[in-house]
This record gives sequence, C-alpha cells and structure tokens, in this order.
Amino acid sequence: MPFFTEAPETVATAGSSLDQALVLALLALPLAGFGLTALVGRRMGDKAWAIAVPAIVLVWLAALYLIFQTLVAGAYGEAGLHFRLYEWIPAGDFTVEVDFGVDALTAVMLIVVTTVGMLVHVYSIGYMAHDPGRWRFFAYLNFFMFSMLLLVLADNFLLLFVAWELVGLSSYLLIGFWYRRRSAALAAKKAFIVNRAGDFGFGLGIMAIWTTVGTLDYSDVFQLLPAQVESGAIEGWQMTGICLLLFAGAIGKSAQFPLHVWLPDAMEGPTPVSALIHAATMVNAGVYLVARANPLFAQSPEALLVVALVGTFTCVMAAAIAFTQKDIKRVLAYSTLSQLGYMFMALGVGAFVPAIFHLVTHGFFKGLLFLGSGSVIHAVHEEQDMDRMGGLWRRIGITHVTMLIGSLAIAGIPPLAGFFSKDEILGESFKLGFGWVWAIGIIVAVMTALYMFRLMGKTFYGPSNVDPHTEPRIHESPISMTGPLMLLAVPSVLIGFALGWPPESGLIHQWLAPVFHPLEEALHHGAADYQLLGIDGFLLGASVAVSAVGMVVAWRLFGFLSTMAPRPALVASLTARLNGPYRISRDKWYFDDLNHLLFVRVGGAVARALWWFDVHVIDGAVNGVASLTQGTGHGLRQIQTGRVQNYALGIAGGLLVIAVGYLFIVAR
Amino acid sequence: MDLGGLPILSAVIFTPLIGALLIALVPREREDLTRWLALGTALVTFGLSLLLLPGFDPTAPGFQYVETADWIPAFGIQYKVGVDGMALVLVLLTTTLTWISILASFGPIRSRLKEYMISFLILEVGMIGVFLALDLFLFYIFWEMVLVPMYLIIGIWGGANRIYATLKFVLYTLVGSLLMLVAILAAAFSFQSATGSWAGAFDFEQLRGFGFDPTLQFFAFGAFFLAFAIKVPMFPFHTWLPDAHVEAPTAGSVILAGVLLKLGGYGIIRFCLPLFPDAAQQWAPLLIVLSLIAIIYGAIVAMVQPDLKKLVAYSSVSHMGFVTLGIFIFQPQGMQGAILQMVNHGIITGALFLCVGVLYERTHDRSIARMGGLAASTPVYAAIFGFFMLASLGLPGMAGFVGEFLVLLGTFDHSPIAAAVASVVVILAAGYLMWMYQRVVFGELSDFLKGVGHHLTDMDRRELVTLTPLVGLTLVLGVAPALVLDLIQMPVGEVLARVGGSLVGAAP
Repeated sequence: MPFFTEAPETVATAGSSLDQALVLALLALPLAGFGLTALVGRRMGDKAWAIAVPAIVLVWLAALYLIFQTLVAGAYGEAGLHFRLYEWIPAGDFTVEVDFGVDALTAVMLIVVTTVGMLVHVYSIGYMAHDPGRWRFFAYLNFFMFSMLLLVLADNFLLLFVAWELVGLSSYLLIGFWYRRRSAALAAKKAFIVNRAGDFGFGLGIMAIWTTVGTLDYSDVFQLLPAQVESGAIEGWQMTGICLLLFAGAIGKSAQFPLHVWLPDAMEGPTPVSALIHAATMVNAGVYLVARANPLFAQSPEALLVVALVGTFTCVMAAAIAFTQKDIKRVLAYSTLSQLGYMFMALGVGAFVPAIFHLVTHGFFKGLLFLGSGSVIHAVHEEQDMDRMGGLWRRIGITHVTMLIGSLAIAGIPPLAGFFSKDEILGESFKLGFGWVWAIGIIVAVMTALYMFRLMGKTFYGPSNVDPHTEPRIHESPISMTGPLMLLAVPSVLIGFALGWPPESGLIHQWLAPVFHPLEEALHHGAADYQLLGIDGFLLGASVAVSAVGMVVAWRLFGFLSTMAPRPALVASLTARLNGPYRISRDKWYFDDLNHLLFVRVGGAVARALWWFDVHVIDGAVNGVASLTQGTGHGLRQIQTGRVQNYALGIAGGLLVIAVGYLFIVAR
Repeated sequence: MDLGGLPILSAVIFTPLIGALLIALVPREREDLTRWLALGTALVTFGLSLLLLPGFDPTAPGFQYVETADWIPAFGIQYKVGVDGMALVLVLLTTTLTWISILASFGPIRSRLKEYMISFLILEVGMIGVFLALDLFLFYIFWEMVLVPMYLIIGIWGGANRIYATLKFVLYTLVGSLLMLVAILAAAFSFQSATGSWAGAFDFEQLRGFGFDPTLQFFAFGAFFLAFAIKVPMFPFHTWLPDAHVEAPTAGSVILAGVLLKLGGYGIIRFCLPLFPDAAQQWAPLLIVLSLIAIIYGAIVAMVQPDLKKLVAYSSVSHMGFVTLGIFIFQPQGMQGAILQMVNHGIITGALFLCVGVLYERTHDRSIARMGGLAASTPVYAAIFGFFMLASLGLPGMAGFVGEFLVLLGTFDHSPIAAAVASVVVILAAGYLMWMYQRVVFGELSDFLKGVGHHLTDMDRRELVTLTPLVGLTLVLGVAPALVLDLIQMPVGEVLARVGGSLVGAAP
C-alpha cells in the first residue's frame, strides 16, 4: 500500500498565458512538423525540409524567450514556470498529469537542445540534399525534437519516462534510417533493446517512488522522499535502491558501462543524427535525470559513489578504445562515452553544476566535431576510414579550422570551452576529497588530447591517402553545412568563459544554484573559496599541462599543419611493442563478443529449448490426453447408436448423476 | 439520452442475428450483396453499441440498461442482460473489431461466402451476449454459442492443417466449459437448497451476494477458472492458440485474439471473483506465479518463432499474462490495468493479425525467413506494421503502455520481486518484435519476395480502411486512457470490495 501523504498543491501559476503558450509551442511545432512532413513530405521533393527546418527555427526563437525569462529576467521566480495540460492517467489514487515545468535546469538544457537542434536541422538541408529519403529524415528529426523537448519540459517522472522512450524511438528510426544496410538495421535494434535494459530499472524506480510516497510529481517527490528518510519512515537502503534504479535508466540512455555498447554502433545513422542525438542532446538525458533527481541522490552517498565509479570507469575505458579506432565517427563516439563519463564522475562526487556545465560545453564542441566529421566524410565521398584520408586541411579549409577549434576545446586548452568545464570537474573532485577521481580524470585528459589529435592528424595532416579517383573531386561543403560549423565554433570558443568565469561562481553557478540547493547543503558545507594562487591554481595548471603534453605527443606522432610530419614507422613500432593492450583496445574490450555469446548464443539456445518443451511436453501432454480419450472411445463404440434420443438420454443421465452426487457429497 | 423504450441491449445482441437471417435469404450468386449486407449489419450493431455511451452513468454502481424476462421459470432461469463499465468497453471492442474483420474478409474469402458471413454474425451474437448476460444459464448458452461459428470459420476457411487445429480448439474449450456447466448447476442447487426456492438461482446479482460454502467455492472456482484459463489462454493451457491462429483465416485470427481471449479475462473478473471470493484468495498465489511464467515464457518462445502468426500468438500468451496477473493481485491499479490491457491487446494484436494477413494475401506465406526489404517496396505497409509493432512492445503514447504499466505498478505494490520479473518483458518484447520487424521489413528485398513480383503491392484502400481506425484508437487510448479508465473504475471497485482486496481510492 502506498504510504499516502496529502501532497501539497504545487502547480504554481507563475508566468502569463503567453509563456505557457510558448512552452506548448515548443512541443506543438515539431510535432506538427513531423506530422505534416510525414504526410506530404514525399511530394515536396528537394524542399522536404521546408516545413521541418522553419518549425525548429521558430522553436529556437520561442526557447530563447523562455530561457531569457527564466535565467536572466527571473520572471518565474526560483521555482520556475509550472502548469498542467490535462489529467493523463486517472486510476484510483494513482493519477498522472501532463504537467510541464521550466526552471533553471530546464532552461540550461533548452539552450543546448534548441541551439544545436536548430543548427543540425539547417546543416541537414545540405547534407541530405541527395538522399531520396530526405523527407523521412526531416520528419524523424522533428519527431526527435518533440521528444527531447518533452523530456526536459516534463514535470513528473512518468511523463519523463514517456519522453525517455520516445527519444529512444527517434534514435531507433534515425540509426536505422538507411534500413537497406543490414548493419544499420541491426544497430538501430541494438540501440533500442539495450536502452530498454536500462528502462527496465528506470520503470521499477518509478514504481518504487509511487508506492513509497503516492505521487510522481517532481516537487512533491523531492520533498516527501527525503523527508521520509529523515523521519526514518524508509530505510537508507531503500533510498539507495530507488536512486540506483533511476540510475539504470541513465546508464542506458547515456551509454555508460555496461550498457555503452549501443552508442558506437549508432554511428550507422546519418552524421547529423550522430551530432544531434548521439552527442549533443539525447545522450545527455541520463546526466539530466541524475541532476534533476539530485534531492534524492543527496540522500544516498552510496548511490553517488556508484555513479562516480561507473562514470570514472567509462571515462577511461572509452578513451582507451577511442585511441585505436579507424572510423572517424567511431573515435568521436567513444570520445562521447568518455566525456559523458566525466559528467557522471562529476555528479558522483557531488559536483553537479560542473557536470551540467560540461554537458553544455560538450554539447557545442562535440556537435561541432561530429558535423565537421560529416563535412569530411562528404568531402571524400562517404569514406569514414581515417586510413584513407590525410592532408585534407588545405582542401577543406573551413571544416579544418572549425574542427581544430573543436579539438582544442575538447582537449581542454584554455581559453576554449572544454577547459573551463573540465577544470571545474577535476578541481571540485579533488577538493571534495575524491583524489582518485581527480587522478583518473587527469589521465583521461592526456588520453583525450592524444586521441583527438590523432584523429586530426590522420584526417587533415601529412600525406593524402585518399582514393585517387576521389582525390580530384574533394570539395568543401556548401554554406548550409559550413555555416552551422562556424556558428558552433563560436560557443565552442566562448561559452566556457562566458558561463564559467570567475571559476566556481560564474553565471552557470548563479543560474543553477536554486536547483541544486539541497544537494549543495548536504555535500558542500564549509567548502573553501576559489584560490587562483593556491590549490585551485595548481590543479588548473596540472590539467592544462597534461593536456598540452598529450596534444604535443599526438602532433609528433600523427603530424600537425605543415610544421610537423607524421611518423608512421614510430606509430607502427609502438603498436607492435604494445600489441596486447592495442588489441584489447581495437576489439573494444570484447564487450560485443561477450554480449553475443550471452544473449545470442546462450539466450537463443534457451529460447529454442523452451519452444521444444512447449511443443513436445506441454502440447504433447494435451495431445496425449486426447488420444487416450480416443482410445477409450474406440472401446466404447458399441454404445454409439447414432440416435439422438439416446445421446440426450445419456446427457440428461450424466447431469443427473452429477447433480445427485453433488447433493449428497457437497451440499450436505 | 432517451432511447424511447428500446431494449437497447437486446437490440445490440440480436441485430447481427437479424442480419444473418437476411443473408440466408440472399441468393448465393449475389456475393456483393452478401458482403455489404454483412458489413452493414456489423456497422449498425456498432452504431447501436455506441448509443449506449451517452446514457451511461460511469459513477453508478451495478448494472445499467437491465432487461429481464422469465425464460424457464421452473428453475428460475431468466433472460437477463445488463451492462457495467467493464462490459461496455468490451462490447465496444467487439462491435468495432467485428465490422473491421468483416471488411477485411471481403477480398480473402472466396468460397462459401454466405456461410462465412452468417457464421461471423452469429459469432458476434455470442460474443456480445457473453459480455451482457447476467443469468448464468444464459451466459453459458452464449459462451457455447461462440464456439460453433469459430469451429466452422477455422475448419472451413482455414489453412492446410485446419481440421486438426479446429478440433483441438473446440475440444479443449469444451472440456473447460462443460466443467463450468457442472459448477453453474452446483451453484444453483446450492442456492436453491439454502433458500428453498429456485427464484434467482441463476441470477448473477442474487448469487454474488450469496456466500457459498468454502468447499463448493474451491471446486466451483476451479471449474469456472479452467474454462476461462483455457480461453485466455493461460500457461500451461495455451498450446491450442498457436495452432488455431496459424490455421485460422485472417479475420478469424483477429476475432480470436481480439475478442475471444478476452472472454476468459472477462469471465474471471465477472464471475470467478465475485461468486467465489474466498476461493479466489486461496488460488491467487498459484495463479500469480502462472501469470508470471506466461509473461516471460511466452515472450521467450516468441523470440524463436519462424512463422509470423505463431510469433504473434506467443506474444498474446505473454500479453494476456499481464491480464491474469493484474486480476489476481487484487489491487485497484492492477485490475484497472488488466481490463485496459484487454482492450489494448484486442486492438493492437487484432491489427497485427490484419497486417500479417495483408502480407499473406500477396505472398501466401508467413515465414519470417523468406521475407525482407518490404520498407522500400511497400512503404505504407511497412509504416503501419511498424506502428503496431511499436504499440505491441508497449511504447508510451500508444495504447499498450498504460495498461501494462498499471499492472506492473499494482504488482510492485503487492510484491516488488514479482514486478521485477514481469518487467523483464519490456526487454524481451522489444527483442522479439524488433527482430521480427527487422527481418521482414528492413534490408534488401528478399529473393522470395522478388519472385512474388508485381503481386507485391502496397496496401489498397480497403485495407487502409480496416487499419486506420485501429491506428487512431491506439493513439487515442495512449494519450487519453481516461476514456476507458473512467468507465471501469466503478466495476473494479465493486469486484475488489467483494473479494476483499485492498481498496484505497478504488471507488471514486
């Protein structure tokens, strides 16, 4: 039975009806764009984007207004804007409403989702221009925007879960966009099913929340559950259990160990999809979930430790794999895993604001890097193997410069965006007493610089390995593609400084303070001020120094501009000397092989065995009884006279016997 | 709404019978007239069933639109029909699926059309009668009445192995229902010997207030339940279902999955629990375990099915496991979820069988291994099939999700472990459905389908008319499940009050 507490009525009325209408427009526009494009897009030919892209530009404008109102003007107060559309599920004392909310955390998510989303839509006009299925592409892309916006606007756990599954569906549709390719169809299915494994836990977590406090509304849950822990109504382990079940969902969506296996395969989708869904927005949903549920995680140091462990492990593992992959998009995919690992690492140590900060900066520079890789792939005619690239930097200048900016940003070179957010994660980890997290984070910082400039070197510098037939036709992408690259390069340079200066009290901290208030109180009491000339300066210097070292080593090995030539012989001898680790990394730590063995081989055998059991044992018993009866029937054939009266007599007699027997035995 | 004294429930029940009689008078060679007369009858029945809605008060307890007439007064047997919210949604499901099935039969059924349509309309009489009967004897008559037309539909218009399948279906079901007849008589005798009168001895409303003695309850529950469990079908009584589905014509499968299985779930909630509440409590733990087995086992076995219809059949075993699970946890959200799941499963699985039928019409094959690459050659079909594939795996925003979630939520309240076991199906269902869809729809066009050549056309207008309403219903019930939930709140509260389940907030 739910421990039923009278929940306070929390649907505030802040914000005018205009603001509410704009929130609804954020959802209605992409949904309408999806519907219209799905219905008439095929007949729109070259102009298949003509509904979908303007819809998202309008969404972006509406979102800017809401972001401004929330973060700058403070029009909705600390709690934010909340309102109800209708009652979705009325089932006795279990009711779920379609409630929306815009607070500081949602607004920060909106910055990334709508900006990158808008730019990716524009980019796709050029990228998908020659694909006959582009109408489908734009329809799906709009559907994704609807689902993702629902995810950040939802004001209760079940509505969040709905959006959670719908972004998964969008991801499935877009990974499998080129469905004729078997690998694409398999990757789409794998992404959905692996995510479902995470949602298995997430769903149970939601049920556990409801049976404990009798509501699923964020604000009520965040008040009632911690209160129950404090009053002793529920045990600490139950709180930890709820947090870990929710975290299972986060592991799936954000592709953390051990559910990370779907994301690299998801690169089968068109590159704009990789940029938008599998780098900048959807994969952040797990980080968002943990951040959103911070009042719950604040009650469970054990759950936070698990978050930190999973994040840290994924961070190292993925970086180690990124180092040996040949496919340019796979390198970026493992890099995304690793960077998401940083975010979970930060959440786990209690550095929630830095985690969201890194989510924002990563959204921009990783979106840039993926779109850049798409431009590269476009230039060399759909080639993704970096061994067949090289020397492209003079040929596709805009793509090269913007990707270089992205690489410097992810490597953590000041004053670009990644530097500020990564430094805050590492610095806070150290100061909050997680020396081991800091140490691993520093190691991954070196690895990040190494694998990113390996990618840059193999793609852009040194001699060209491009197919001779393609070589003369290498060309820079059209403005609809380079434009978004340039526009994404701006925040990749500036947004770290803009939001993160001065360190630990920049704009992002001011914005998010109300959201993480309970957590800060629980974890950060008595934290020292930022000391540029003390411990903080040292930590900062250390992380910059190691990144610079990693970068320079990569330049020496793989080349840089015209100043440094690549040294393939040295790379080859290093690879040979480190053959064992190299192979483990190249084969992705054998997770895919393990899964294949476990689920395809063993699982398939179990399923076939059960089917045999069904046909031969269960149905065999049924048919056995039938033939036994038939045999008896043969023996009793004599009384089959074929006269209906006799049968009627028999039936009546039988009923009589039963009735009389009953009267004597039971009714007595 | 004033119906002008029209006995509306009898009108809904017997309109198809009138249609069947009219069709019997149509000359055999007027095939089009037969088709349109059948469809017209089904649509009129559907329209009449919609007329029940405006005057129905979902907050009123008990039955509405009740009609009573003496039938065999010597034994207190009456013609008594009435409707509550649960029966109402299931009647609407029946009348909807029947006209869709008849329309879907326009193309495929070419031989003995007259007999086919008559069988189908009589089948509808039986199905609606089962949901509306309030006299146990009347209920039994309708219950058996369903069997005969279905026996013919599979046995005459079915596939190669139809005789085996239909005999198995009928004999299996008969075994269950004969035991139920014995239990009905036993209950009536017991009532008669206690009250000294036959009056009301078969009247459900009288009997449900009568506390039967524990021994009778135990055995009568078992007999009723066996009949219903075979219909559901509940593990381990499910093996007739894959055979029947594989051999049945498309429309037969739609009705079999869409309505006939629900007769079982309905019977349990309507009769087993209120009449024999103590026995229900005794049996519940075993039945919960069997439901959990059905949910997981059905999904795992579905994974390796080579035949599209068998795959959907085993998925039904899994999905219907949620219905019995939701019933026997005796918890308000669980039981509302169970009823909602019956409606959703009827719509979604009915639609999936229609989709398989569309493919079968063109290829005369259902083997998954021979298919492939339909997305490029028949995009509309691929989209609609994909839509119902997603609905079947419980995607939120579509009908399947809410019912399943409510059952899981109720189960979690009762036993988190049981909920965790049942939840595994969210992974398994995604597995078998998406794997099937990938093999049939994605990839390059298979050699087999290339051989089909120009017969492999996209869906025609008639097929779209059968499937589009189901697309709409799937979305509407996903976004606004309140349409069903508001109707079944009261019946669920009443049943749980009888069975002594937890009742917090069940009644409005």
